[in-house]
Amino acid sequence: MSVAVGTMQMRGPVLAASGTFGYGTEVPLLERRALGGMVSKGIFLRPREGTTPPRIAETPSGMLNAIGLQGPGADALVRDYAPQWAGWDFPVLVNINGESASEYGELTARLDGVPGIAGFEINISCPNVEQGGLYFGNDPRAAAAVTEAVRRRTKLPLWVKLTPMVSDIGVIARAVESAGADALCAINTFVGMSIDLNAFKPRLSFRTGGLSGPAIRPLAVHLAHQAARAVRIPVLGIGGITRAEDALEFLVAGCTAVQVGTATFVNPNAIADVHDGIAAFLEGRGFKSLADLPRYLPRD
Amino acid sequence: MFLIDAPLTARREVARGMFVISMHAPEIATAVRAGQFVNLGWSGGPLLRRPFSVYRVEGEHIEIVLKAVGAGTAELLTMQRGERLSCVGPLGHGYDFASRARSAVLISGGLGVAPMPLAARDARAAGLRVVWVHGARRAEELCHEADGDEVIWATDDGSLGTRGTAVSVAPDAEVVLACGPNRMLGAVAERWPDAQVAVETYMGCGTGVCLGCAVPLRRGGYDRACKEGPVYRAADVDWTALPSHLSYAVTV
Repeated sequence: MSVAVGTMQMRGPVLAASGTFGYGTEVPLLERRALGGMVSKGIFLRPREGTTPPRIAETPSGMLNAIGLQGPGADALVRDYAPQWAGWDFPVLVNINGESASEYGELTARLDGVPGIAGFEINISCPNVEQGGLYFGNDPRAAAAVTEAVRRRTKLPLWVKLTPMVSDIGVIARAVESAGADALCAINTFVGMSIDLNAFKPRLSFRTGGLSGPAIRPLAVHLAHQAARAVRIPVLGIGGITRAEDALEFLVAGCTAVQVGTATFVNPNAIADVHDGIAAFLEGRGFKSLADLPRYLPRD
Repeated sequence: MFLIDAPLTARREVARGMFVISMHAPEIATAVRAGQFVNLGWSGGPLLRRPFSVYRVEGEHIEIVLKAVGAGTAELLTMQRGERLSCVGPLGHGYDFASRARSAVLISGGLGVAPMPLAARDARAAGLRVVWVHGARRAEELCHEADGDEVIWATDDGSLGTRGTAVSVAPDAEVVLACGPNRMLGAVAERWPDAQVAVETYMGCGTGVCLGCAVPLRRGGYDRACKEGPVYRAADVDWTALPSHLSYAVTV
């Protein structure tokens, strides 16, 4: 079940998605043997309070969230969490955020070389911040500029998390590949909105939120597939995975690994269940390893 | 924290439309403290789990109290004995009885009765004399299971007990514990800044990772109802920024 995403070796293809696993210290039930890796909650250089509640709303087979990247900032992450990660037997990547390309670069410089940090996932796709976030993710030049700013400051594995809120994900995928990304993560949440019919206003105080969960899975499989067709670097599939079969759809559609997110909220052991289910599927179909899994990936 | 497949074992009505359901969850029954909660999911249910304060413990069984306030709770109330609930808990930080006080007043409004039987149990175990004040809009909405060394009923329309809110009729005590609508808890905070209150928020994961259940604090910033809460010192919460009423407008 081991897998390589670029130069990063992982013992399994199932990772914890950013924002759904905290800093890896909170969810006590998960059988960590199954965890291929973890992407920590998105961080800015400085502490952020996050948005005012209500921050979440349930929707059919999904949820909207507008947390606003609440977090303690880079110094606290280096002091409180990285030392713990350094002793863990799976890689931890940090999801990094900024309001400008130079701020992404500054944050990377602060974190690069800190023991416990195995790589970076550039977040150019958060829909819940006023500055930055999605803005960088739907413009190929801005996406490339952020990627270059980070690339200049680290030799560690560099993944870029893409937004689905674009007309052609392949254009953005190629732009960040050219700018030095080692892998792509497809996709972040869709922007959505839900109205409270008692209050006659949005259910989230931020007005809109990011839609995640099984509701977005077919959309995500398609976009991850489109991204994988467009580039030569590996793609990690994300979006509504709750079972092994869901993860296998992404893998067959051209992804090298997957991230599980919202499912962990519901089932604290979701990652282990998905991991074990993939192993059982491979064995049941007579495949010796993930490399034997047939892929559907005609190149653009 | 445990993840248990818990069969539903009993159900009873304790006020009009308000039910107590029991499930067999031995590890949680042993570990749970007053003010802590469980997060329940079930096959074919909505995506997210639903959080409930643990109401009582009977041997290896735990009880929760609920009304059909949305699609999820309505589904829960159609479940039959023997059907299974996936139960994560105990979660959160509950009431604290470590002080050397002698008297406690428990103030509950409507469904805010939920954590109080365990609070009464733990308060008595800590050597406190317990006065329980339970309020609702009308007599038929009062949970009739309130217990304590003394029980005071309050209704908005005066149809049972004293006319008025639970907060307005409650006597003073060294330890004040409250649970009810956030509006009511704001009133508690004005009268007893040191009261321990259990807040109500929307909740995503219940385990501290999603940051969806943010509680605004007077000192600035937020923390998590599911981890640092749901019980807070009343004066520490910024009641003006905490939504005062959940609409339960779940569209599933």
